[in-house]
Amino acid sequence: MNPATAARVIDDLGALLLLSMIVIIAASQIARAIYAVAAQSLLIAIAGAVLAAATGNRDLWVIAGITLAIKAMLLPWVLHRVLRQMNVRREVEPVIPNTATLTITVIIVVMAFHLNASLGSVRQSITGNALPVGIALTLLGVLVMATRRKALTQMVGLFASENGIFFTAMSVTAGMPLIIEIGVILDVILAALVMTVMVLRVRSTVDADIADLDRLRG
Amino acid sequence: MVAVCYAAGALSSMVAWRSGRLALGVAHGWAFLGGTLGVIVALGVLLAGPDCYLTLPLATLFPFARQSLSVDGLSAYFLLVISVVAMAATIYGPAYLRTHAPDASPARQATQALALNVFLACMVLVCSAGDAMTFLLGWEGMTLASYALVVSEDVDGENARAGLLYMVMTHGGTALLLVAFLTLTERAGAFDFVAMRGASGALDPSTRATLFFLAFGGFATKAGVIPLHVWLPRAHPAAPSHVSALMSGVMLKVAIYGMLRFAFDLLAPSQSPLPMSWGWVVLTVGATSAVLGVLYALQQHDLKRLLAFHSVENIGIILIGVGVAMMFWRRESAGGTVATLALTAALLHTVNHAAFKGLLFLGAGAVISRTHVRNMEALGGLARRMPWTAGLFLLGAVAISALPPLNGFVSEWLTFQALLGGASRLSGPAALGIVFAAAMLALTGGLAAACFVKAFGVTFLGRPRTPEAARATEVPVPMLAGMTLLAAICVAFGVAPGYAIRLLDAPTAGLLHGPGASAVVTAHGPLVLSTGLTPLGTPATAMSMTFMATLIGLLVMGLVGVGWVLRLRAPAVTRRLAPTWTCGMEPTARFDYTATGFAKPLRLIFAPLYRPRREVTREMAGTPYVLRRLHYEGEVVDFAETHVYHGIQHGVSNVARIIRARSTGRIYGYIGFVLGALFVALLAFGVRAQ
Amino acid sequence: MRDGTPIPFVLLEMSLLVVSGPLVTGVIQKLKARLQGREGASVVQPYRDLAKLARKGTVQADTASGLFRAIPVLVLAATVAASALLPVLRADPPTVPFGDALLLLGLLSLARFLMAIAALDAGGAFGGMGASREMTIAPLVEPVLLMVVFSTAIAAGTTEVNALTAYRETTWLLAWRASDFLGFAAILVLLPAETGRIPVDNPDTHLELTMLHEGMLLEHSGPALGCLTLAAHTRQIVTLGLVAALFFPVGLSHGTGVVVVSLAAVAFAAKVVVLASYLALVESSYAKLRLFRVPAFLGIGFVSALTALALRIL
Repeated sequence: MNPATAARVIDDLGALLLLSMIVIIAASQIARAIYAVAAQSLLIAIAGAVLAAATGNRDLWVIAGITLAIKAMLLPWVLHRVLRQMNVRREVEPVIPNTATLTITVIIVVMAFHLNASLGSVRQSITGNALPVGIALTLLGVLVMATRRKALTQMVGLFASENGIFFTAMSVTAGMPLIIEIGVILDVILAALVMTVMVLRVRSTVDADIADLDRLRG
Repeated sequence: MVAVCYAAGALSSMVAWRSGRLALGVAHGWAFLGGTLGVIVALGVLLAGPDCYLTLPLATLFPFARQSLSVDGLSAYFLLVISVVAMAATIYGPAYLRTHAPDASPARQATQALALNVFLACMVLVCSAGDAMTFLLGWEGMTLASYALVVSEDVDGENARAGLLYMVMTHGGTALLLVAFLTLTERAGAFDFVAMRGASGALDPSTRATLFFLAFGGFATKAGVIPLHVWLPRAHPAAPSHVSALMSGVMLKVAIYGMLRFAFDLLAPSQSPLPMSWGWVVLTVGATSAVLGVLYALQQHDLKRLLAFHSVENIGIILIGVGVAMMFWRRESAGGTVATLALTAALLHTVNHAAFKGLLFLGAGAVISRTHVRNMEALGGLARRMPWTAGLFLLGAVAISALPPLNGFVSEWLTFQALLGGASRLSGPAALGIVFAAAMLALTGGLAAACFVKAFGVTFLGRPRTPEAARATEVPVPMLAGMTLLAAICVAFGVAPGYAIRLLDAPTAGLLHGPGASAVVTAHGPLVLSTGLTPLGTPATAMSMTFMATLIGLLVMGLVGVGWVLRLRAPAVTRRLAPTWTCGMEPTARFDYTATGFAKPLRLIFAPLYRPRREVTREMAGTPYVLRRLHYEGEVVDFAETHVYHGIQHGVSNVARIIRARSTGRIYGYIGFVLGALFVALLAFGVRAQ
Repeated sequence: MRDGTPIPFVLLEMSLLVVSGPLVTGVIQKLKARLQGREGASVVQPYRDLAKLARKGTVQADTASGLFRAIPVLVLAATVAASALLPVLRADPPTVPFGDALLLLGLLSLARFLMAIAALDAGGAFGGMGASREMTIAPLVEPVLLMVVFSTAIAAGTTEVNALTAYRETTWLLAWRASDFLGFAAILVLLPAETGRIPVDNPDTHLELTMLHEGMLLEHSGPALGCLTLAAHTRQIVTLGLVAALFFPVGLSHGTGVVVVSLAAVAFAAKVVVLASYLALVESSYAKLRLFRVPAFLGIGFVSALTALALRIL
């Protein structure tokens, strides 16, 4: 695959990534948000594969494979299981109205692109919109974490944010060293497991979600 | 020629002094003549070519200022707008005053006629002023005359309060104008505009910007731009309806004239563009006014107040065009057309708004003169009782909602094209901002349509809700004639806008020193509107309202023909009348949708902007299941009013409280304060003079 | 006059759209029925309904004004006129410029405005409710639609649909730039709202809690109802055709030869059927949203459209 085509495909994938992020933010049911984040991880894996094909970097194939296996399949499956086990209301419970979140989304996207224009000097292995898309995804993931009450949706935000970091890394350096990537992914898995255990334990012992933790104040 | 027109206005006001019923007719007749002459003069200047210029020195009133009138393309264009609406209003006026208040005292009628003439004369004076002195005199006269008209129909003190607010606000604005004009005068050493133009070249950028924003603030107050609009929805409805039409349709435009004259002519640096920030401020203010104006209009149930809020909206739309013109003027490469396009859109919307808003106010006046009710919840079913008024009002409603094939659509289309052109020539967040403004304009159009479905539907359709509405009859012919004149303009400028564009040549070419409007917009002949070239150099959008209107007309005729054939082939098929289905109950007017109910979904969706308040009191009939009476009261607050003005009010009263604590109540003490203040002022100026 | 599609051909395209409008509704109904495990009515059922309505007499509310009779004709005329602005078979702009995408949207708005007026004329609560809701949704849809049009128009610098199509006309999906994905996503959100379908409106019901468009038609009968129904069919195919022209600008012919024109017709039919099956799929798999959830739903479209613009120009 020649670099020009790759750049184009990465650009298109960036648009789809943003779209999946919008779906995550706008989703009114947790299950739908989980599907969207799985789709997003799938897109990241495809982007990694495309980049690997374009640059001949063999580590990227591995990373794409790991992403596909863990983030697009394993973690969504875990989240679904937790969702079933918890047997809670399946609606997302936003902290601020969804319309307000969408407004903030617009502002973040515009700011990310604006920032990109002023960061012009940063060398990009992949030209086009990959860098601002990555920044926007990272920030939007944090936004999801900040505006949702439930631990599950916060985990979705965490994954999305991590996807954003991954995409940024790919766009700037054509992939970080393999070991760092694997480390990051392990980190995320660990976070997911800890949170899962925590949520289930908290739920089974005191029957409360983390939204209710503010009641612990003395 | 200007003198003749002007004299007619003045003479008519003299005649009006002879009190009596006759005076009404005579005074309005003279005003009509003044309007007709104004149209002739304006058309003469506009069609004579871009360099046609009329000047006329006036008798010296003040020893320090040489006064003159001067009419160039821009002046003539606004003169045309004033004169056309004046013609319609003066045909309509006498009949309206007689129908609305048949037992008004002759003195009041004469005063109203006098004030109307002074009002018209002053507006003409402002637009044709050749120096700052004449301009400000006309400006002040315009304010005073319209104040007199606002308070002239006082019944319960409401109008007096509206008038007071109007005076306070506009005088605040005039003070800003005064500072701006006097500073320029001081630099130029003379009052006339020619000297000012010469002097403004030497201004440093910061002074220039200060002067612009002072003048912009002053004109914006008069134009009713949000958040300076609070006087407008109170004062406009209070005046007699034909005066409301003039105030909303024309007086606000005089402020637009001032803005254009000041920014593009008096203050413009030679050969260099205006600062980008000016354009952005005007564009932002315009877009905000447009959206908020129509949102507040949606929640009004007073027919005239609703129309007044729509003036805020339309001024916003005009300012969007003006803002884009400011941004791109002299910033494009050779052959650039965006500035011309934007200014054309703004100026065309000026005349269009004058026509359809005038028409709507006259239509509302027709309703009010027959029913004496302004609240549309108490109207309904008027389309069967006043069919002509209803038809003309509907025409105005379609025009103001920016729907084809009428004139409102044409000017909004041009504004959209200017925004598109602007966006494709900018990059980065600026381009995104312009597209966002376009989206806001689309939102405004959609909301305006919703608002006029409500206004027309609740007022004219369904069943009458009160006996007043049930008793209404069609208004006299002169009133219909006044409305028809404006309606004809709405249709003509909608279906064949190319001929109206021809009138815009002189103002656009004169103001921008670039290509005229018709060179850009009607390059393919008067039947087709086009927008110059794209950045790629290919021909941009072309559209023809004329062909489209013809197509629609043919389709309507075809469909009617098909219907006729169908009925011929099956003569047994019947048409019968039956009551509306109301779930088996007796159909009454209470089944009709109310204005409050119609606007409720939008009230809830935009609740953060409205902060709606509602109180429902239930009166039970002994058991909790049977309701004897239900009282609903809802209110929507004006964001600017509650947040901006109440804040200022709190600040002022706090300061006042502090001062009161310090004050002694002894009169010589206050005189001492005055002395001290004078001393400090003299000292300050003395230091500066050295 | 300029080079391009001759006027008779434009009128032919227009008639083609109007004639095949009911068929699209029929196809959607059939697909929906199949997806829901029913046999469903024939795809030509909408034509039978129209023929039946044309033969019937009319009942008119005794409180209605003259507008009530005039408006169905005007609504149909405005909608049909809008369909003349769409490139169906030939890519070249007409020799005489009729109008652009903004005029097309304007004419559709005009039809909606008049219909809402007629709904208030009879003076029942249902008509008022339908009109109120329709006029609530419409202003929220219009800005997003405009932004989608602008997101494709901004590079070409024109809003003429033919010119836009010609500007973008290249090969299949590869011609899509990144922003087109997001723009198309926005359109997918808007389509049900613009065509009056689930999850925004429900075309199959006359229950007052769910209806928008149907509520406005309730007092009409006979040929007048036929006019309004045909207008709704036409509006639907025009909307689908606009999406096809903006996002799938392929297969349009450049000559008037029989082969290329029939190829173009097949291509157009394919595009419309794809979009129609999307609508059928959405209608079968979602429930209608509460009215006050619709703004948030359209908000997704707004954000997508704005992001599309950001990708395009930033």
